[in-house]
Formats: sequence, C-alpha cells, structure tokens
Amino acid sequence: MPEQRVIDGRAMSPPEPLELAVAALREMASGDELVMVLNCEPYPLYSLLDRNAYRHSSRVREDGANEVRIRKL
Amino acid sequence: MQPSLSFEQAPPISVPYRFFLTAPLFGAAAGLVLVGFGPAALESRWAPGALAMTHLIVVDFMLQVMCGSLLQFVAVVAGANIWRPRLVASVVHPLITAGAVFLVTAFLLEAQALFLLAALSFALGLGVLLTVMGIALVRTPARGMTIYTLRLAVVGLLVTVVLGVTLASILGSVDILESFWSMVALVNVHAAWGLGGWALMLVIGVSFMVVPMFQLTPPYPVWLTRVLPAGLFVLLCLWSLQLLGGEPQPWQPVVLFSGMLLAGSYAAATLWLQWRRKRRKADVTSTYWRTAMLALAALVVSWFVFQAVPQLGDHPRSAVWLGVLALPGLFLSVIIGMLYKIIPFLNWLHLQRVAGFSRNTPNMNRMISERAMRGQMRLHLAALGLLLAAVLWPPLAVPAGLAFTASCLWLEWNLVAAARLYARLRDEIRAAADAQIARPAE
Repeated sequence: MPEQRVIDGRAMSPPEPLELAVAALREMASGDELVMVLNCEPYPLYSLLDRNAYRHSSRVREDGANEVRIRKL
Repeated sequence: MQPSLSFEQAPPISVPYRFFLTAPLFGAAAGLVLVGFGPAALESRWAPGALAMTHLIVVDFMLQVMCGSLLQFVAVVAGANIWRPRLVASVVHPLITAGAVFLVTAFLLEAQALFLLAALSFALGLGVLLTVMGIALVRTPARGMTIYTLRLAVVGLLVTVVLGVTLASILGSVDILESFWSMVALVNVHAAWGLGGWALMLVIGVSFMVVPMFQLTPPYPVWLTRVLPAGLFVLLCLWSLQLLGGEPQPWQPVVLFSGMLLAGSYAAATLWLQWRRKRRKADVTSTYWRTAMLALAALVVSWFVFQAVPQLGDHPRSAVWLGVLALPGLFLSVIIGMLYKIIPFLNWLHLQRVAGFSRNTPNMNRMISERAMRGQMRLHLAALGLLLAAVLWPPLAVPAGLAFTASCLWLEWNLVAAARLYARLRDEIRAAADAQIARPAE
C-alpha cells in the first residue's frame, strides 16, 4: 500500500529540509508520496526531481506556508 | 512566503569558484603589506600602505567574491539568464585580477604607468560584467525588494568604476581630467559609492533574503526594505553633487549624518531580527553576520563620537579606525560567513546532479569541517581585534598584519579543501557510473 511521509521544514535552517527530502526520496517506492511544508519554494529540489522522474505539485496554504507534494512515478 | 532560490539557472560550478578561490590570497597579501610597512601604514587613509591595503581588500578580496556571487546569485535569485557565464567569467576574472595587481603595485611603487594599466583592465573587465549583469537584471521577470536592491547595487558598481577609472587615469598623468574635478571630492564620492552604493547595497539586498532564510528570523519589516535601499541611493546622489565644485556646502554634513542613521538602522534591525530568531544555536554563518552588524553599529557610533569630539574626529587615524570596522569588520565578515554557506551548498547540489538519487552523497555539513570553520572564524575575530588595537597603539601593526594574513590563508585552505573534495567525489561518482555501464559487456 502506498505510504505518505511528511517533512515540516519551517523550523529548519536550509539545507536541512533538502537533505531530509533527498534521503526520503531514495527510500520511496513507486506510488509513495512525500509532503513537504516549507517557508519557500524549493527550486533546487524541483530541478533534481525533474531529472529523476518524480512528479511534484505545490500550493500556498492559508497560513502562508508552501505545501509541496512529491510522488514517485 | 519568503523569496526563493532557483538553481535550475545556476551556472557551472567553475564560474563562481575561480573568483572565490582567488580572493583570500589577496587578503593575505593585504596583511603582509601591513607587516612590511608597519605602523606607517596606519598613519592616515592617504598613506601608500593604507591605500594599497584598502584596495587589496576592496578590489582583490571583496570585488572578486562579489563578482562570483553575483554571477551565481543573479541567475539563481532573479531567474535571470546570464549570457554565456563560463565565457564571461573567463574574461572578467583575469582582467579584474590583473587590474587589482596593477593598482596595488602602482600605489606601493607610485608608478604612473601602472595606474593607466589598472584603469584599462578594470574598464574592460567590469565593463563586460556590468553589461551582462545589467541586461540580465533588466530582462528578468522576477520582482521583489531583493531584485530591486540588486539593480541599485549594480548601478552603484557602475558609478564606482567610472569614478575609479577616472581617478586612476588622473594618477596615471591624464592631467586634463584633474582640471574638471578636485581629487578629494572624486575620492570621497568614489569611496561613498563603492562602500555604500555597491558593497553595502549588495549586502542589504542579499540580507533581505538570506537572513530570514538561513538564520530562521522573522522577515525584515516591509517599510524598511523599501526605505533603506531607496534612501541610501538618494543620499549618494546628493553626496555626489560636490563634484560640481565650489565651496563645501552646509547640507553635505546633513547628507552624511542621514547616511549614517540609515546604516545604523539597518544594523539595529538585523541584530534585532537575529535576537528574535527561532533557533538559538548559532552556526558559523550567523556568528559572522552578527559580528558584521556589530561592526557596522560600532562604525556608526564611532562616527557620531568623532563629530561630537573634534579632537578625536580630526585625528588622521580616525578614518583608519572607521576603515577597519568597515572592511574586515563588516564586509569581510559577511563575505566569509556567506562563503561557508554557499560553497557546501554548491558542492552538494552539483554532486546531486551528477549522481542522481541513486547514490549517497555526503551531507552539506561535511563539505567543510565545522571545526575548521570555527577555528578560522576565531582567528578572523582575533585579527580584527588586533587591527583595531593597532590603530590605537601602532606598534601592534605587525602582529595584527600577521594574524590577518594567517586568517585569510586558513580561509583559503578551507575553500580549497572543499573544492578538492567536490572534484574527488565527482570523479568517484563518474567512475562508478562508468564501471556500471561496462559491467554487462564483460
């Protein structure tokens, strides 16, 4: 069954959320989802995702945080 | 939401690294000039040793790192396409390095021909950089106070270069220019644009993004992000009116007073934000930023004291005191602190691109050891303390120069170690990938 994992990076100093995300992505199986909650748009991560066949989408939540959903294809 | 960084546009790693790895060597040379000249280099801002040290720091160290960072940052922050970054870096880096060597040698040997060579090298090298950067910043669709402030900083660099090239040409015996402007007015306006309109403007623009992002502070108040860059720019334009000639005007001290108030407000706001940050444990970068802001605050307080007590303010070494607080105190502290953040990040990001997610790459905090960074920072702080003490008691000039040289060489060692680690890991990843491709054929 696909799993979901959440990384709340709002109280972390860059590059910690990015490193945690890459470590989590390595372990993800096809269909699993990683949700990241951040104070910014993680463009460096997007460029890595696009190169490695992951799908991602983001939206700004009501509290101003950016929620990024990443799924392994 | 905070403004963001876009590394899709990041130029090749060799573009910023050539600037970053050159800069600390010239800082070390500045320390050696102080060792060679001794207390004489601190007598006044006009002493040949002081002029050589100042330009070794502002042109050779600060300008090198700021050019490398700008080529990286403008592409990343503004999402702006820099035209052929590798080619631009290959032209700009040797020209500004040669120009800086000519300029400093000209000050030390009082050689007129070298001033002309310096003027030519800077005009060509920085002309290329400013053209490419200007086009990228005008064309970018990105908005926000960081982009706006970066644009003002690039204008500040343009004015500084035009005035600097004019000054170097006059010193190189192009006497006709001297009949238009007074040398003191030219130097005052050149220094104000270089330190305020270029260097401080760039630090302010970058801090709006990186202080909240890396130090987990609240964002700068919106009104401050609007008032600071615009106010500084208007004051610099007013300050430049002295180039029109005539007697010193009564409003000139008011302009200087307002500029100091603005700089002091920026330092106070940044220290206040750092005080309110969410994470209490300070890393090397935050400590360097705090040192920089304390140095800026000390500079502003010193300036007000010098105005209030003319016996102090009229002393020739008062300007040297302000110079030490501004250059190693404020600007080098910010620059070194940012290098310790930027280089591990660039190493990691470029390795991820080579390796993909299939392979483990070391964490960013392993790219430069924490112990090495902290040791270098302590030496930088000790050198800063000794430099300030040497202004008060000049016999300390030689130990201060040695300490400053040692701190710059340690920085160089740390940066070279990080660059070598990147090269080794990249080669290992490529070799492993090649072996994997070759295996099925065996």
